[in-house]
Amino acid sequence: MKSAASSKSTHLKKQRNWKRWSIHLFPIPALIIYGLFIVYPLFAALTYSFFEWDGMVRGEFAGFKNFVDLFTLQPFSDLFWNAFGHNILYFVLQMIFQNGLAFILAYIIYKKVRGAEFLKISYFLPRLLSVIVVGFLWKLILNPNYGAFNVILENLGLEALQKAWLGDPDTALIAIILINSWYGLGFGVLIFLAGFQSIPKELLEAGKLDGATGLSMVRRILLPLMVPSIMIMTVLTFIQSFEAFELVYAMQGSEGGPYSSTDTLAVYFYRLAFGGSSGGSSSAIGLGSALAVVLFLFIAVFTALYLKYMQKKQVDM
Amino acid sequence: MKSLKAFTFVGLLAFILIMSACSSDSGGDGDTNEEASGDQVQIEMGSWRTEDTEAYQTIIDKFNEEHPDIQIEFNPSKNTEYNTILNTALQSGEGPDIIHLRPYTPGIELADAGYLEPLDDLEGLDQYPEEYLAASKGSDGKQYGVPLNISTTQMFYNEDIFDELGLEEPQTWEEFMSVNETLKEEGYTPISLASKEAWLLSLAHGMIGPAHYGGTEFVDKITAGETDFTSEKFVNSIEAMDELKQYFPDNYEGLGMEDIRTMFFTGDAAMFPMGSWEIEVLREMNPDLNFDFFPMPSATGKEPTVTSWVDGSYAINANSENKEAAKEFLQFMTTEEFGELFTKEFKMISAIPGIESDDQLVNDLSQAADQRSTPYMILVHFAGGNPSTKETIEKELQGMYLGERTPQEVAETVQENAESWYEPLQ
Repeated sequence: MKSAASSKSTHLKKQRNWKRWSIHLFPIPALIIYGLFIVYPLFAALTYSFFEWDGMVRGEFAGFKNFVDLFTLQPFSDLFWNAFGHNILYFVLQMIFQNGLAFILAYIIYKKVRGAEFLKISYFLPRLLSVIVVGFLWKLILNPNYGAFNVILENLGLEALQKAWLGDPDTALIAIILINSWYGLGFGVLIFLAGFQSIPKELLEAGKLDGATGLSMVRRILLPLMVPSIMIMTVLTFIQSFEAFELVYAMQGSEGGPYSSTDTLAVYFYRLAFGGSSGGSSSAIGLGSALAVVLFLFIAVFTALYLKYMQKKQVDM
Repeated sequence: MKSLKAFTFVGLLAFILIMSACSSDSGGDGDTNEEASGDQVQIEMGSWRTEDTEAYQTIIDKFNEEHPDIQIEFNPSKNTEYNTILNTALQSGEGPDIIHLRPYTPGIELADAGYLEPLDDLEGLDQYPEEYLAASKGSDGKQYGVPLNISTTQMFYNEDIFDELGLEEPQTWEEFMSVNETLKEEGYTPISLASKEAWLLSLAHGMIGPAHYGGTEFVDKITAGETDFTSEKFVNSIEAMDELKQYFPDNYEGLGMEDIRTMFFTGDAAMFPMGSWEIEVLREMNPDLNFDFFPMPSATGKEPTVTSWVDGSYAINANSENKEAAKEFLQFMTTEEFGELFTKEFKMISAIPGIESDDQLVNDLSQAADQRSTPYMILVHFAGGNPSTKETIEKELQGMYLGERTPQEVAETVQENAESWYEPLQ
């Protein structure tokens, strides 16, 4: 009898152990996907970047030659810095137009204006479209000769302002960044709104009792408490700006035209690694991989530094 | 526990349903295929000619009359992205069984990388002239492609507009410029060309350039290293491109291929510097459009020229599991039967010698290409390098139209790029 009971208990124990253990099996499918599509390509690109490539055939080990070429050989280095500058502009303008506006709009919704729910949904709507669709629609809207935008300008009596928005190097990139901001606005509003709503009411009331009003309330109480959401949005925008690809590709093609005025690092990478869009062009997989590695390191290092810096600023609630 | 089991069961059921739905999908149109035979071979065909999907189906149907056991799926991707999609697929050991090969350097590069199957034993290859075969001959001297068609670039013009204004096909550059001037005065857009899509610019230079650098003679010299891109003749050809911009549509820097094609077939624009492959599209878009072409008149007192080159060959993926079936189809592509069907359906010039088209325009073009042909120099000889000389001239011309570059600077940058890889110029 006794031994039977004890064997039953070890059996139960085993079962419990197995249960505890089996929990660790559940992330495996996700890990496989992550490994296959994120980790493996990352290391593949790293290895590729250290080899010479003749068209699509891998050649000799080349050390850091691809990296050196990328920064010293023309036209590669010019194209790199040109694209890099565009990425920075992308980040700055997105911070102002997407996140700045999203912050204000989220605050207004938080303050419970009429139709807040409706506004929340309409800000988010563009996000539901595919980026390719967004790019295609705006390309039609901005078409210089029959697009809606120039027609509206004409009807407002502003013919002088009409131009080929996507064909002019001075306006093409800005137009694309603004469209991207429009597209991402709703997401920013959601994050900021969640941030506002997680601020305990007592803190605000205490602030009020201590005489904080209007702007000083925002500056001294709301802003410090919003640091976590601002941090998230900044990091996400930073990563998104330096990986900016889809809209440029959808609207201007893989050349980042006109005359490289909308080229970004990711588009430049695509062109280098896979060959351009015109009939005759060869790919430079080594250079492309080197660029991908540089881009990855740049984003990783800056994101880490920024997070470290912001963690100190965070206020405990 | 019970609910978990139920959940697993439902999940499994859903999975099975989805799987079975997928598999019945890929079976195509069911019954008829199964009846045809037990041993169906499936073959995929890649191309950049999305416009030709229907015409290819006609070809495939014809092929199936004799080869009912080979199923071919024509699966094209967007013109400007085809190379990227194909290269990526080939790198990962995939890609279509039958590959539409870009002419000269990009296609030969694929052959040299070992992605293509040599075709030397294919019957019927000897009927093609050597210069057609050169478009897809590997550096190892083996033949990797069956030439499909000859493309030409020339000036299309709207006959109704020319009749209305009493204009004639120009024979000299001066006459051409005065035609432009008249059209502009009468409120038409003389030349439907735009600069937002850079590939249009090297294409246009390929037909307008010879009028100034002096056609084939210059091409022979530069490929022998006796002259270069900074020579006066070549700079003249770039300057001519710059001069013509006054006759382009409004806001041409923001317009693309679709826009300029539409301007031409709706009769807003009178002339369209474009490739022969657009005939089919123009006829489809506006069947009532009366248009003809003229060879580009020379500015240096030579004969007018039509720019022509092999615009594509068909090759077999070395990784294909159905090479034999793919070869059957390529074999079919060398037959007269195919050539005739091809010209009829595609309104293009077949690479097979002696094929006549039922379209007068295509026949005239075919003849003009025989008699006054000059090569598309940048594509045929200068598509190598990284970035390629072709890409370089496209981008530089775009810069010129945006006022960022002078014709002299364009020529210098092109020369610099060509020197970096093209041996005769080093």
